[in-house]
Amino acid sequence: MKLPFHRTDAPDDNSTWQRFIAGDVDAFEQLMSMHFQGLFHYGSKFSRDKEFVKDAIQDLFLILWEKRRKLSHEVVVRPYLMASLRRLMHRSQQSRFPILDISKDNQEANFEIAFSVEQDYIEHESTIVLANKLKHLLDQLPTRQKEVIYLKFFQEMDRTQISEIMDISPQTVSNLLQIAIKQLKNYWGVTLPIFFLMHILI
Amino acid sequence: MEQYKNFGVDDFVWDPFFRQWILTPTRESNTEWNNWLAANPDCEATVAQARQLVLALRVNETNLPEREVSDTIAAAMGRIAKPAQEEEYTLPNRFYQSWWFRIAASVILLLAIGWTIRIYRTPAPQLAVTEVVPDTVKPMEPVVAMLEKVNTGSAPITIRLSDKSKITLKKGSSLRYPSTFEASQREVYLTGEAFFDISKDPERPFIVYANELVTKVLGTSFLIKAYPTSREVTVEVKTGRVSVSTRTDRLNAATRRETEGVILSPNQKVIFERNEIRMVKTLVERPAIIVSKANIPQFQFEDTPVSEAFGAIAKAYGIAILFDEELLSGCPITATLDNQPLHDKLTIICKAIEATYEIVDGQIIINSKGCKTDI
Repeated sequence: MKLPFHRTDAPDDNSTWQRFIAGDVDAFEQLMSMHFQGLFHYGSKFSRDKEFVKDAIQDLFLILWEKRRKLSHEVVVRPYLMASLRRLMHRSQQSRFPILDISKDNQEANFEIAFSVEQDYIEHESTIVLANKLKHLLDQLPTRQKEVIYLKFFQEMDRTQISEIMDISPQTVSNLLQIAIKQLKNYWGVTLPIFFLMHILI
Repeated sequence: MEQYKNFGVDDFVWDPFFRQWILTPTRESNTEWNNWLAANPDCEATVAQARQLVLALRVNETNLPEREVSDTIAAAMGRIAKPAQEEEYTLPNRFYQSWWFRIAASVILLLAIGWTIRIYRTPAPQLAVTEVVPDTVKPMEPVVAMLEKVNTGSAPITIRLSDKSKITLKKGSSLRYPSTFEASQREVYLTGEAFFDISKDPERPFIVYANELVTKVLGTSFLIKAYPTSREVTVEVKTGRVSVSTRTDRLNAATRRETEGVILSPNQKVIFERNEIRMVKTLVERPAIIVSKANIPQFQFEDTPVSEAFGAIAKAYGIAILFDEELLSGCPITATLDNQPLHDKLTIICKAIEATYEIVDGQIIINSKGCKTDI
């Protein structure tokens, strides 16, 4: 079965990171190719400009390389890169369009994500209806909640990592998650028993 | 695992531990969940549905083409591999992208255009060289002040450069160029589509950077289409000659293939497939007659051997027409073809002699079984 792309730090990520800090050019290349698509996926949520996202990722690695002596040895690489990319993109987006006056709140509003339902995995009509309902509910979530849900459930990040990436306190992460899940379950709860019943009867 | 007994479908769908088992099962989690299911058979339907939902619900992610990824990595590697490794890396100062610069540039440009005296020139055909280079060798942003002209209107605009070259910028395209060129070369950056009419200056090659293509000319006129989102980059030659070549990545220098080159003549065109890194040579859509007006032959044939007709057409358009002279020697044609575009001329002639034609490698090839026996 085709499983969704697994997203945890590869076991040798940390050793690559240590070599990167030590100034190993091969480690630079490894790190960059290992994380490029993942970062591109994440960066694309903040801008539709493919070239801009690509440039930002390149800049990110070049900046890290320059600062490598000052970098911490103890980081979980993937969330760290995502957090840095997010900051970098927001900064340069701001300098690109200062005329639009993107305040911090507006920045947060810029997170575009498209959920989809792959029907191949579903056996019963009722479950398709359910899945579409769920997708609809996800689409309706406010942006910040969407990002938290995305990082938590589709990127398998923990609370601390999400708080670092989104630059908010862990408590805020928990709150956002709680509200989001409550909303996802709340709306859902009304229709659920009926579908569930149908499912059992079929 | 006690708490899972009372879980509904929705609880399972948003339970991290459950998701982890579904999305990235391990031997341990399989054992644990299967044991739990065996002990709680009444939860089976709920778990089955939750599993399907977890698997079906996706985030649409678009990959960057692998080629672009490797190009970007190669470009970054190129930067850090410089001997001056100890130098502080500073972000490229993309000042030309800032809004104030664009406004200032537009104002300056308008003033400059106002001062420019229109001078007409006829460009002399010159050898032009187009080569494909990986992003690695994209030059560092120049230090001289660059102007940027963005055509936001719907009509093409004309830009006259300090060397009197004339550039027609199509809508939605932009051109960056220095206010005055350096002494050694003339460099401009194109995004989108533009027609270049370059003034002759053998001392200073004119270089256009457009996506993966670097087009180098001495003095000629040609059209480049290099839209950022397009999968193709094309160069069409109107006058002069262009030599086009591909180069493999600098990083793969060890396995570098021989430079493949094609020469483009007027009315020929090269299409660079960005995904496949492949160049295709063909003809421009509507080839134009390249000889001067006084020398345009009359395309009025009366019982003319078809080889003669093809000869006249080939000469007028500067395009090679290949055919079997012996086979076609007995095929006279009678037709007046003064006003038709090239493709119509060829179609009419070919119909008359029951032949077909195709464009291969920027040349026209006539396929015929001969018509000797028919006459």
